[in-house]
Amino acid sequence: MRNHAEKVDIVIVGSGAAGSLIAAEMSEAGKKVLILEAGPERGLNDLTSSQMDARRLKWSGVPVVEKGPQPIGNVFNSGYGTGGSALHHFGVWPRLHVEDFKVRSQHGRALDWPITYGELRPYYDKIQQEVGISGDAASEIWRPEGADYPLPPVPVFQQGDIIAAGFNKLGKSIAPLPLALNSRDYKGRPACLWDGWCDAGCPTKALANPLAHYLPKAKEQGGKIIHNATVTSILTNNNGNKATGVKYHAKDGTEITQLADLVVLAAFAIQNPRLLLASGEDGLANHSGLVGSYIMSHAAATVFGLFEPETEPYMGATGGQLLNQDSYDHKNKRKLGFGSYQWMIAQAVKPNDLLGYGGSNPALFGAKLTEFMQHAAQHFGGMTACVEDLPERSNRVTLSSERDKYGVPLATVNHSSHADSYALWQGAKEEGIEIFKAAEATTTWNGPLGPMHIMGGTIMGEDGEKSVTNSYGKCHDIDNLFIAGPGLFPTSGGVNPTFTVHALALRSAQYMVRNWSSLT
Amino acid sequence: MKNKQPPDPIREKKSLKISRRHFSQAGGAFTLAFLLGDRNINLTPAQAKTQKIPLQLLNPHQAALIDLLGDSIAPGAKAAGLSHYIDHQLSSTAPDNLLILKYLRVNPPFEGFYSSALMAFDKAINQRFAKNPAELTSDQMAEFITIMMTENPEGWSSAPPAPFFYFVLRSDAIDVTYGTMAAFDSLDIPYMAHIEPDHEWADRS
Repeated sequence: MRNHAEKVDIVIVGSGAAGSLIAAEMSEAGKKVLILEAGPERGLNDLTSSQMDARRLKWSGVPVVEKGPQPIGNVFNSGYGTGGSALHHFGVWPRLHVEDFKVRSQHGRALDWPITYGELRPYYDKIQQEVGISGDAASEIWRPEGADYPLPPVPVFQQGDIIAAGFNKLGKSIAPLPLALNSRDYKGRPACLWDGWCDAGCPTKALANPLAHYLPKAKEQGGKIIHNATVTSILTNNNGNKATGVKYHAKDGTEITQLADLVVLAAFAIQNPRLLLASGEDGLANHSGLVGSYIMSHAAATVFGLFEPETEPYMGATGGQLLNQDSYDHKNKRKLGFGSYQWMIAQAVKPNDLLGYGGSNPALFGAKLTEFMQHAAQHFGGMTACVEDLPERSNRVTLSSERDKYGVPLATVNHSSHADSYALWQGAKEEGIEIFKAAEATTTWNGPLGPMHIMGGTIMGEDGEKSVTNSYGKCHDIDNLFIAGPGLFPTSGGVNPTFTVHALALRSAQYMVRNWSSLT
Repeated sequence: MKNKQPPDPIREKKSLKISRRHFSQAGGAFTLAFLLGDRNINLTPAQAKTQKIPLQLLNPHQAALIDLLGDSIAPGAKAAGLSHYIDHQLSSTAPDNLLILKYLRVNPPFEGFYSSALMAFDKAINQRFAKNPAELTSDQMAEFITIMMTENPEGWSSAPPAPFFYFVLRSDAIDVTYGTMAAFDSLDIPYMAHIEPDHEWADRS
């Protein structure tokens, strides 16, 4: 059974950070907006405080085939349902640095962004004022120019104090971690309780997930969202140079044609290129042959320790309490490898789950595990380095020979860390152990390389031969087809991507409004 | 600016000090809807085990192997209802599945993962000790686990790698043993739920 739905001005595929922000902005501009979300509807009341229940928020859509020595961890890093991956993100919102935008120009390697930090800065400033970020800009000696944070910094608990002593002893700097969590009530949203349930989704709206701000804003302005709507292709005119809408399957399997004047793909870094590749013989908007290329994932370098004093490791935010970016600028000045990384220090931790302290040392079992679980409950400490992943063309999304129930090929993702990125991760681990020893940890250890965040795959650039979109996310080949989200990043930097995703999405939305007539 | 201490405003934790047991006193338990006859009843996995709720997918031998190995890895997992938890989750749809395996690049359905690994475990134990797994001494089980966490023991075949299965079952065992409100309480960790996990032990038929 096939249906044609009423035409809308703009159809957005995906309700995550980028999709919900663009929906809000375009609705506010008076456009008729429809979001198609592949996963189920979730409300704040569905965000149960449990690390096991948290797994429902992660990707459960069409399987992704992961290959390569450092797989990207699609399920853990993606979301499924209202709010996408931003619903379970930890709200760590540092900015990219000036150097991140011009790696190729400055170092002759990797890629350049088609914009500078200066061009993106106003959007960072506007977003942080709108949704609230807690932090202390003056303490962040590494921070590029920008407006002060609208909220005071988040509190530091015992774990933070103890690990901070190690940084201080080694002459390293620390600052409050900039978090999109309210340290005070802000614009009708309450302050955080520092309970460490961020991964399970924040139902209080203290954390700026899409349910806290942009989705309600979109709905207030008339924006609509349809859940369990699986988009299978992007429709174009006969010449293939103009998008006319999308085809999707509703929950009951009905195939629906949704026409729109403008199409935005905001379905995250894997599903966006999958849809483009599956929508044309050689892929849609793929004149460059780069749709799917340059997939990146930050390597998480984890450091754990046990400390003599009690650490209150259950208090705080899952993202951490403090920040260090001493190893960020001057990417060519690292002891090992090339690139940038930052430490997110003293993360709130639960006993179970991949990020739980119980999983931190898999060699323990039996009575030793029991002893560890009891002792670590009060004496555990941890921090994570977000390590830059250099873009490699061979790290890419391609179409699998397997197909989903609607006949669309699955995405296959190959990812292998660049040798210099891997070395950078090794160096971060070593530094972390040194810091924990300086903090007088009684025991220290590292975790394995964990993939954190997914970026690239539909990169932006000035040259249509070397990128998929322009700096606004507009596909070089199709004026009214936009990409939004971290898939646009030509380089990953060494900071969490969600703040930048918001800034780029706001810049794109304003561009769409300004140029609506010529685009459509 | 080097060695700069965090500014005073962030040192306000004293007012946030929490009495550890405060938040978990009224706590419920991690319950799942188990099928009993034609009714669904909400029980903790431990209650499901005690009440001998019929297993849906695992056979009794597989359940016994899961409990044996899981409890050897994380003592308390058997009583916490590890085999009932895994059985329940294996019969869940993908979006509702809570098994940690979904994070680890294994696509559902997951039944084959566990059944093949348990068969390999059984076979490798027999090959090494000429015993059934249940007959091993605790030292023998520890010896075997020490091997399987780093390599495939002799006789381990047609199954996921032993170290991977060890990691997965260990995580499952930690989930049921330490991931509940009651377990947090026993560890003296305040649970601080915004929304408690389903805590009613009620007949929802």
